[in-house]
Amino acid sequence: MNISVCVGSSCHLRGSYNIIELMKSNLARYGLTDRVNLGAAFCLGKCTEGVSIRFDDEIVSGVSTDNFDQVFRQHVLEPLGL
Amino acid sequence: MTELCTDIGYYSLNKKGEQLCGDHIDVIEPDGDNTITAVLADGLGSGVKACILSTLTSKIISTLMANNISIEECVETIAATLPVCSVRGVAYSTFTILRIVDNREAEIIQFDNPHVILLRGGKHLDYPEEERIIGGKKIYRSRVALQEGDIFLAMSDGVIHAGVGMTLNFGWLRENVIDFLELMYDPDFTAKTYSTILLNECNRLYEGMPGDDTTVLAVKVRRRQPVSLMIGPPRNPDDLREMHERFFGEEGRHIVCGGTTSKLAAEYLGKTVETCMDYLDPEIPPIATIDGVDLVTEGVITFSRVLEYAQNYLEDNTRYTDWSYKRDGASLIARMLFEQATDIHFYVGRAVNPAHQNPNLPINFNIKMQLVDNLADCLKKMGKRVQVTRY
Repeated sequence: MNISVCVGSSCHLRGSYNIIELMKSNLARYGLTDRVNLGAAFCLGKCTEGVSIRFDDEIVSGVSTDNFDQVFRQHVLEPLGL
Repeated sequence: MTELCTDIGYYSLNKKGEQLCGDHIDVIEPDGDNTITAVLADGLGSGVKACILSTLTSKIISTLMANNISIEECVETIAATLPVCSVRGVAYSTFTILRIVDNREAEIIQFDNPHVILLRGGKHLDYPEEERIIGGKKIYRSRVALQEGDIFLAMSDGVIHAGVGMTLNFGWLRENVIDFLELMYDPDFTAKTYSTILLNECNRLYEGMPGDDTTVLAVKVRRRQPVSLMIGPPRNPDDLREMHERFFGEEGRHIVCGGTTSKLAAEYLGKTVETCMDYLDPEIPPIATIDGVDLVTEGVITFSRVLEYAQNYLEDNTRYTDWSYKRDGASLIARMLFEQATDIHFYVGRAVNPAHQNPNLPINFNIKMQLVDNLADCLKKMGKRVQVTRY
């Protein structure tokens, strides 16, 4: 699986740094660092009230530290059958 | 673009408790004339009186010299013009004149300031001095053929008196200043950086309380280096191709700023944008790479930081310690624009990003345009040739 966290101006201001840190620690916690390619992307064109993340071909926007766990479960753990 | 050019930087520390500096620097670079005249004057005493004396002296000399009036006449004019100090009965200001002619030769004229230090290839070089008496004043005159990388440092005596009776018994001597400069030498440093590094050391020796006005003027001889920077897509999408053709047709280095801007640039080059995930500075978005572009960064946030660094550079340059070695986008742009570039061409696209026109975000269109204008002004004040083309 390929995950790209948007680090464009708008997402950056809404917390890309924290989301990347959360993503790194969660991937490590579930032992997924070999199965998931984590990267960054400039503007994904979905500037909303939160950070945008691309999971393979699907873009999820509005991610924050509050809803991160739910997004991670729905878009990483479940598709990987965990 | 391969000819030599000069980079001039200077700064002063005021004597403790003084609001005015008794040292003054004046730089004159007449249009259409390839001669730059820089004068460093140190007025007798301190405060208002010294400030007036040194300002008059540097202004008179630089103006007369720039009009090809002989040094004899300059000195006589100063002696006849300066107000006489009621306490000491003399009109007095020491001075150092550095004239760079055609970027080929330096003429140095010195009266009573510590003698100009010349570093060539990072090592101190003695140059011949011819002594003359003009109007009862002993004046030294030298001519030096310039080489790429030469650095001339003129200073007021506050530099060599730094630390007297405090950290050092007798201050540091010109030889010690030379040792310090040779030790700190880095061919990438700008003239401004040399002047602030030396002044910071003086301030340290003075324990933050300078006993005299202390000034350093640095002149560095270097080759021209053009850098072009593109930020923002054009307002009219039909202009995109022309903007790219002109931007990538520029000689020298290329910087692309902004997410959409870099995506479009990569498409033009037939490459991809590889965004880096490392947040080297949590406040500055990570950089990216595009094959064929020297530096790719995010836009407005990175740019705001570069502007902060530029404004500080024109002041005491204390944030130099941040941008001089860090690898985040703002530091990389700062090094490329402040240190490497002599000629900068901004390609500014005026397309409005609708997603950014949110009152809660400090990245709207007006802010972006203002950032570019302010940065261009700062770069001009650094002595760079700046051109802005808007699309």
